[in-house]
Amino acid sequence: MSRALDERRAQFQRYKEDVKERGKPFYPYAMFHDTVMSLVVVSVIVGLAIVWKYTSMLGPLYAPKADPGTTNFVPRPDWYFYFLFYLLRIFKWPNSVILGTIGIPTILLMIMIALPFLDLRRERRLLRRPVAVVAAILTALSMGVLTYKGATAKESLASEVVSAVPTWAKREGFSGNPQAVAGAKLFAQSGCTACHTYLGTGSSNLGAPDLTAIGKGNQGAKFFSDYVANPRAFGNKVMPVFGNLGSAQNIRNIGVFLSVSKGPK
Amino acid sequence: MANRKKSARRQRLEAAIVYPLDWLEERSGLIGGVRYFLFRKVPADTNWMQTLGSATLTAFIVQAVTGVILAMYYKPDPNSAYQSIQHITNDVWFGWLVRGMHRWGASVFIILMFFHMARVFLFGAYKYPRELNWIVGVMLLALGMLEGFTGYLLPWDQTAYWATVVGININGTAPFLGPFLAQFLRGGAEIGPDTLARFYSIHMLLLPGAIAGLIGLHLYLVVRLGVTSPPWSKEAAGSERIEPPKKGRRGLLQPGARGGLPR
Repeated sequence: MSRALDERRAQFQRYKEDVKERGKPFYPYAMFHDTVMSLVVVSVIVGLAIVWKYTSMLGPLYAPKADPGTTNFVPRPDWYFYFLFYLLRIFKWPNSVILGTIGIPTILLMIMIALPFLDLRRERRLLRRPVAVVAAILTALSMGVLTYKGATAKESLASEVVSAVPTWAKREGFSGNPQAVAGAKLFAQSGCTACHTYLGTGSSNLGAPDLTAIGKGNQGAKFFSDYVANPRAFGNKVMPVFGNLGSAQNIRNIGVFLSVSKGPK
Repeated sequence: MANRKKSARRQRLEAAIVYPLDWLEERSGLIGGVRYFLFRKVPADTNWMQTLGSATLTAFIVQAVTGVILAMYYKPDPNSAYQSIQHITNDVWFGWLVRGMHRWGASVFIILMFFHMARVFLFGAYKYPRELNWIVGVMLLALGMLEGFTGYLLPWDQTAYWATVVGININGTAPFLGPFLAQFLRGGAEIGPDTLARFYSIHMLLLPGAIAGLIGLHLYLVVRLGVTSPPWSKEAAGSERIEPPKKGRRGLLQPGARGGLPR
């Protein structure tokens, strides 16, 4: 160990001497490259801002104002978090979700910090570092694939989901129950399908369970109302707290809707 | 040279320019520092890939400047945040450009951090004696991502709000610390005025301060340890056998040592 350290010290010593003898001054040589690159960066940023303003390629300038109560929400982070977000789809709620939310990111961070102490060899040539190169390629590939999957994951908007409510009512056989139909509408409008699926509608992006037959266990409307109002009380810390969804009647309707959802007839 | 004598006028002019620089140098040594920074030697074979670090710094400066301007118009309060964003985008002179640059500069900043990191990794530039600088870089990456997370809520639109709801809940799943962290980020049981003010403060005071400080340390270490040359050549990659010096080891703990690193 001490010999390896001496070698590294001697090598760095020689690097210093090499640079002193044969190096070039930072200004103007390297600084020229840096300046050109910086101008490119600023131009790209300005270009993106202009494209954002004058075309719709980069999305809207803003979504509607935040409304904690209802309406359609699409819980999407900025694109550079897609790779982390997609992990939540791989590690499903509730058993392994912790791996996707905290586990894997923490492990990756630990590995990154520990990297210089894991790889102690002096060797820097790529062809002599097969493990490092393969690891780099795999990391880049998996981040790329996860980002792409996150970006293309299917999500439905509330307006589209609402139109499916009559079909739901028919297939699940609660057309004659006005409270359940009202609850189903609310369910569609409140953005529940951004995390949950119901009869194939919605998104399982975040690993939340399918609710098609959630009422099968006959827990009753009260149980579901309480659960949606405050999932914390049931040990669910990922699902948002919805309170009474605007009114006591609303939260009751949601409960009725979920309790009669016993799967397609 | 000697026969081309400078006119008295020109001499006076030069003295007038040099005098304040001399004054500053004598009292601070800053001019010498800048000269050292500019004229320090870097390996002759450094290439374009090694501009990614300074490109990332440029993106950060863009974020800082546009962020300061946005802070002059933005109101971190749920009742007026959304309106102030609309005001910036539609009414303020070139406000759309400043906001657009901040919005997309964030993406560029994060992409560049990853590219810069990939370059350092492939060049093996995290190896002795640059381990500490790699760790500082990882911390900068993490703080940069947190900037993205906290900034995303500020427009107070639907996307922002619900992404943050889920993001905070994800933090909440962490064992032991999770619930406290989630509670701290929300500033209460629900996302509301306190959350927005908190995110704003973290986004524009705490994190940028930490990032700026770490960038300073990062650059100090780059200048102190020198720029790594690309690992193409055997010589540059330093892979051949090296006979360690016969003399005893040098290090801070060795008696008579002058410093931790060979100079």
